[in-house]
Amino acid sequence: MGKVIVVTSGKGGVGKTTSTANLGTALALLGKTVVVVDADVGLRNLDIVMGLESRIVYTSMDVIEKQCELSKALVRDRRVDGLMLLAASQKNNKDDIQPEQMKAICDKLRTTHDFVLVDSPAGIERGFSNASAGADEAIVVTTPDVSAIRDADRIIGLLQNARIEPINLVLNRFSPQLVGNGSMMDQADVLDILNIDLIGVVPEDSGVITSTNRGIPLVYEDASPGAQAYMRIARRLTGQRIPIPDFEQSGLFSNILKWFKKKK
Amino acid sequence: MSISIKQLFGRKPKSSSIAKQRLKLVITQDRLDVDDRVMTRLHHELAEVLAKYFEFSANSVKMNLKQEGNSYILVADFPYTKFHDLNVRR
Repeated sequence: MGKVIVVTSGKGGVGKTTSTANLGTALALLGKTVVVVDADVGLRNLDIVMGLESRIVYTSMDVIEKQCELSKALVRDRRVDGLMLLAASQKNNKDDIQPEQMKAICDKLRTTHDFVLVDSPAGIERGFSNASAGADEAIVVTTPDVSAIRDADRIIGLLQNARIEPINLVLNRFSPQLVGNGSMMDQADVLDILNIDLIGVVPEDSGVITSTNRGIPLVYEDASPGAQAYMRIARRLTGQRIPIPDFEQSGLFSNILKWFKKKK
Repeated sequence: MSISIKQLFGRKPKSSSIAKQRLKLVITQDRLDVDDRVMTRLHHELAEVLAKYFEFSANSVKMNLKQEGNSYILVADFPYTKFHDLNVRR
């Protein structure tokens, strides 16, 4: 039986879709069987971020309306074994789907795959209830700014009420330089406020923009810091214990400080 | 929370610590479902009761919610200038 994990955030634009695409691909690269599900009905984007937009024939709406079999609606990603996408309908809206119908789809997918990652829309309304309806666990994505963190806290409360656990935090677009000069909250600050477990920190990486432009998830490029961060999170999702590196120590000044500390 | 050299020399506090402080207050209010109007009403009612016993200026009053572990603490500062002696008939 596979795990169903909802990827959510409350606020839009913090990297839910990018995280879903990269974690799904990373898990497949690690040899797991994965379905990534776009739950953003009417505003779908997971297909274009993953570069699969030209291959969508059926959507979850067609499955719900019994226009096609679930297995037929899954688009296979040819670049890696074991990765499938279930697209959202672009013609419908979020109220056209019931939470129970999403749950039924997730429950069916988990019998054939190790991981089902559901990309939630922004907001706390119907789209979010649909996306989280079938989830065992949650990944909350946030950036280190006040609005994203406040919204993340709201979402965490709703997930806790729905008895979804564990709830793991991905701290996205983290800038060691800004943390170094006191302009950005560090991971300890964010965890102190949100009080949930951290599963990974993804540093700001311009590679995300170019990889989205091309429709090739970042994790295919091993060298980029963002790709490495997503690969580590994927490994943690499979149960491996991998420490979170200390990004804050990477500035020149702090490296010198570190060198002096070592000397002592 | 460590104090940086900059802060020791009287520079502005770091914007990241201001962000954290502001977030903590607003999130505590969000979690408790307390809105600003309720806090303002509570403020007025508390001031009304306390004014019977103390003399204080309204703009010196500060009220805040804090979280410590799993419980929330309401901290209200009413710096008073005089205690009314209720035994004396006025």
